[in-house]
Amino acid sequence: MATIGADLVRQMAAGDREAFAVFYDRYAPVVFPLILRIVRERADASDVLQEVFWEAWRDAPAYDANRGSAEAWMVTRARTRAIDRIRATRRRSETFVAPLDDGIAAAPRESAPDAAERAADRGTVMTALDRLPDAQREVIELAYYAGLTQTEIAERIKQPLGTVKTRIRLGLERLREVVKASS
Amino acid sequence: MNHEPYDTLAATYAVGALDGQERVDFERHLADGCDVCEATLRDSAEALATLARSRPPMIPPPAVKEELLRRIAATTPARLDASRRRPRPLVWAVGTVAAVIAAAAFTGTYVAVRYEAQLGVMARESAALRAKVERDEAALREQLAVYRNAADLLRDPQVQVVTLRGLGPSPGATGRVIWHPVKGGYVFVANLPSAPPGKAYELWTIGDAAPQPAGVFQVDGSGQGAHRIAPVEGGKPVKVFAVTLETEAGVQQPEGPMVLASAK
Repeated sequence: MATIGADLVRQMAAGDREAFAVFYDRYAPVVFPLILRIVRERADASDVLQEVFWEAWRDAPAYDANRGSAEAWMVTRARTRAIDRIRATRRRSETFVAPLDDGIAAAPRESAPDAAERAADRGTVMTALDRLPDAQREVIELAYYAGLTQTEIAERIKQPLGTVKTRIRLGLERLREVVKASS
Repeated sequence: MNHEPYDTLAATYAVGALDGQERVDFERHLADGCDVCEATLRDSAEALATLARSRPPMIPPPAVKEELLRRIAATTPARLDASRRRPRPLVWAVGTVAAVIAAAAFTGTYVAVRYEAQLGVMARESAALRAKVERDEAALREQLAVYRNAADLLRDPQVQVVTLRGLGPSPGATGRVIWHPVKGGYVFVANLPSAPPGKAYELWTIGDAAPQPAGVFQVDGSGQGAHRIAPVEGGKPVKVFAVTLETEAGVQQPEGPMVLASAK
């Protein structure tokens, strides 16, 4: 599977527009829900999606299959751009309305119960993340989906920085194991 | 050297949470070349990608792909042309009259073929554009008729307006049903994801008996849709309106997930 993705990127690098269309159909449905989860607004998510695929077309010649699958390449890109978008929005709201803490807290406060609810709602679709202990899942969600840095997470959950780092490391190790075991 | 502190930094970096001086230090460590950290970052990215894939896929608004393809076509010269031009200097190099004539003929044919191909592409593009405009126009007319009829219906004092709420897979979805017990009505939905290929949304009217199918519909790129609901046979009262995701052709009994329903 990974090799099909890598082949498509190679063809894109050679200027093959049809390969791009296939590539888009293959990965847009995977990264779109991720972007939407981060930015929340459908219109914003569509903008970010377009930006991410445009950059993929532009940067295709730089892709190196030895450094990861095309899917991971796209997911990383999508997450980064989505977080850029919410950080920019947060900066604007800090400047004009909210004091720093409110600006940072606004997004994630909804996100934690939301994610738990959704996991419960979904029922059938239990992701690897749901298998993590709550404390580890929380820090990974705050970092990966809400774009908080380790310092911001420590302030938010009122735990020492060292604890936050350890939880992230253990959580991510666990996530890698679960994913490896299930694939 | 003890590498453990870097394991923690690598994990924090992988989820994008490393900040301050630690980030600077770690990036320097990476730049110096560390196979262990690179492997950690690579495995983490793959695990996070698998996590993304394990969630239900969603078809993004079609306008995104259209815009991307348009942008790419506008900015990328057809890179394949270079290989086709190569034979030309070779032909000229022969230098004989025959060769010149042959070359001229070749070039002429070549240009004509290229020109024709270009014209063909343009004709296809403009035909596609015309078809799209016609489709859009037809869709707009249809939409206008729906809105006009719905507005007319709203003047009837017997009409009820029922709110639909998003469920399970699409909690952000909303909907309204304008319902007349004898004339039927309309459903308007918003924030529903486009149905995956081969699927459509189906409306159900539920009274005292089994749910009755009330037609299939699609939503547009912005997640909105409108659909005419035929009156229920015999004017039996409807207690609940619900929307499920089904195969494109529709089904007689709900099978797929329920995405919207009115409060009882």
